[in-house]
Amino acid sequence: MTTVTASTASRQRLLDALNHRQPDRIPVDFGGSAVTGIHVSCIAALRDHLGLEKHPVKVTEPFQMLGEVEDDLKAALGVDIKSVPGRKTMFGFANKDWKPWLFNGLEVLVPGEFNITTAENGDILIYPEGDVTAPPSGRMPKGFHFFDAIIRQNHLDPDHLDPADNLEEFSPIAEADLDNIAADVKAADTGQYALFASFGGTALGDIALVPAVNLKDPRGIRDVAEWYMSTRGRRDYIHKIFERQTEIAVANLERIHGRIGNSIDILFLCGTDFGTQSSSFCSVPTFRELWFPYYKQMCDWVHGHTSWKIFKHTCGSSERFYESFIDAGIDIVNPVQCSAVGMEPEGLKAKYGGRLVFWGGGVDTQQVLPFGTPAQVREQVLRRCEIFAPGGGFVFNSIHNIQAGTPVENILAMVDALREFS
Amino acid sequence: VTELKKLYDAVVTGNAKEAAAITKAALAEGADPAELVGKYMIPAMDEVGRLFECEDYFVPELLLSGRAMKAALEFLRPLLAASGAEPAGKVIIGTVKGDLHDIGKNLVAAMLEGAGFEVTDLGTDVSPEKFVEAVSTKGANIVCLSALLTVTMPSMKTTVEALNAAGVRDKVKIMIGGAQVTDSYAREIGADSYSENASAAVATARRLVAA
Repeated sequence: MTTVTASTASRQRLLDALNHRQPDRIPVDFGGSAVTGIHVSCIAALRDHLGLEKHPVKVTEPFQMLGEVEDDLKAALGVDIKSVPGRKTMFGFANKDWKPWLFNGLEVLVPGEFNITTAENGDILIYPEGDVTAPPSGRMPKGFHFFDAIIRQNHLDPDHLDPADNLEEFSPIAEADLDNIAADVKAADTGQYALFASFGGTALGDIALVPAVNLKDPRGIRDVAEWYMSTRGRRDYIHKIFERQTEIAVANLERIHGRIGNSIDILFLCGTDFGTQSSSFCSVPTFRELWFPYYKQMCDWVHGHTSWKIFKHTCGSSERFYESFIDAGIDIVNPVQCSAVGMEPEGLKAKYGGRLVFWGGGVDTQQVLPFGTPAQVREQVLRRCEIFAPGGGFVFNSIHNIQAGTPVENILAMVDALREFS
Repeated sequence: VTELKKLYDAVVTGNAKEAAAITKAALAEGADPAELVGKYMIPAMDEVGRLFECEDYFVPELLLSGRAMKAALEFLRPLLAASGAEPAGKVIIGTVKGDLHDIGKNLVAAMLEGAGFEVTDLGTDVSPEKFVEAVSTKGANIVCLSALLTVTMPSMKTTVEALNAAGVRDKVKIMIGGAQVTDSYAREIGADSYSENASAAVATARRLVAA
């Protein structure tokens, strides 16, 4: 495998792809966001295999235990993107003051406020804002690979619901946070990479965020099933949350843009999953009623005031929503789960290729990448590139994060195939 | 006199308060619990399944109807048990070791219960040993294994192996389901069937107990 040095070509390559022009080669993302990353154990294995400098890898996204893709690994994988992370991690503490942690036998680095305890059954419990005096908000089953939310639905009174309770985590951005974002962007903006920012606050009902694992005592609707039922049975309540959340988000984006201008290239808008493996979580008319107006409001502001492109993540069978996404002003869809019903790559490219950027779809992480052979990985990557690459509008990424336990040989087969195609 | 068709409607529209109130009133008037289940609730959940299959209903509607059905069953379950009425089958269900995602599992459990099955829900992150123990103590004839994650899918295989090793595999039919699970994976690990969704799981369970 050869190493590719990033240059200003990386940013240009991505801008070409985002603007539906043919780039010099397919741009690549690994580690740009919390849905396009690599599990820390795979990063450690990759670094080892490639002979990169030996040191513990930083866990930059502790909920899914995603690791940092450093510049040397970026070069080895041909990555063209740099991440500008959010203000805080999912658990409400900052990515700083790194300390060592032994994770299933692997030494990694975690943020200073990554504070855990071990439950009686051996599960690992983690705490909001790192405060071990609060009830834990995340649990990792013993010997497994990432955290899941602990549902804390302690204050639900169905007859006296107040939308403000579900808005606790959405607030006007503080000056100190603006300073941090400006500093992060400045540090990342070397002119080499395209910058992918996840400022937070713009996700509408992302089910991973509903339990609010960053809050010590969340109020409002925090149970996953209760939230889903509310999208059907309590539409007025959800509208009020989304309406106010959008007002706050737009005001925050305005202030952020005031500080960083057009330094970033891509804005992570929202990770709400609308698709399931074989269907969706709602109908298109429901989407148009409940989500669309708010997405459009945010997108309109961004497109009216910035050069940022807007990235929307939704797993599963999501094709039915693509026309609405385009109407709302969404530029990029991810992860393009081709294994879900109605997500055949040829059809997607033919129907939406000139209007949406496919960021993902490169290789299946449910079956082929973790369980297939290197030859099967190669074959799928080459085929997907053949379909998605012509005319730009494609950023290579696996379909969602590379999962723990994925063989290094398969990851390298993916990278080699991508290089072979290019 | 309580209009029992409203029980059917309450389950189909997912109105838990109404379903509970109608059931309570009907029982006070001397309605037969088995008739309430067989004539109104099972057909209602069948209709919910049909609406899901044709994409008039989605996960939120299934959850609401499941909750309404459970609200009515709270009153009916003790009476049905006391009457000695035989369930359509006895099901053990849980998410496999390492997997904490239970929405899909809960939907399948609710739909099976709504179809007249007796369901023992072992919850999430269930070890193979717990499945083996439950099969022995509950007299189950179906075991449902759920896994959402790529990394926990192999726990399905170890659970099937544990049922084999314990000598109880032949007593049960094994159904599996979850986002990344496939029919071929079911065959590969020696399960009896894969179901794509909660509605399909009911049809599968009915087929397996009839076989």
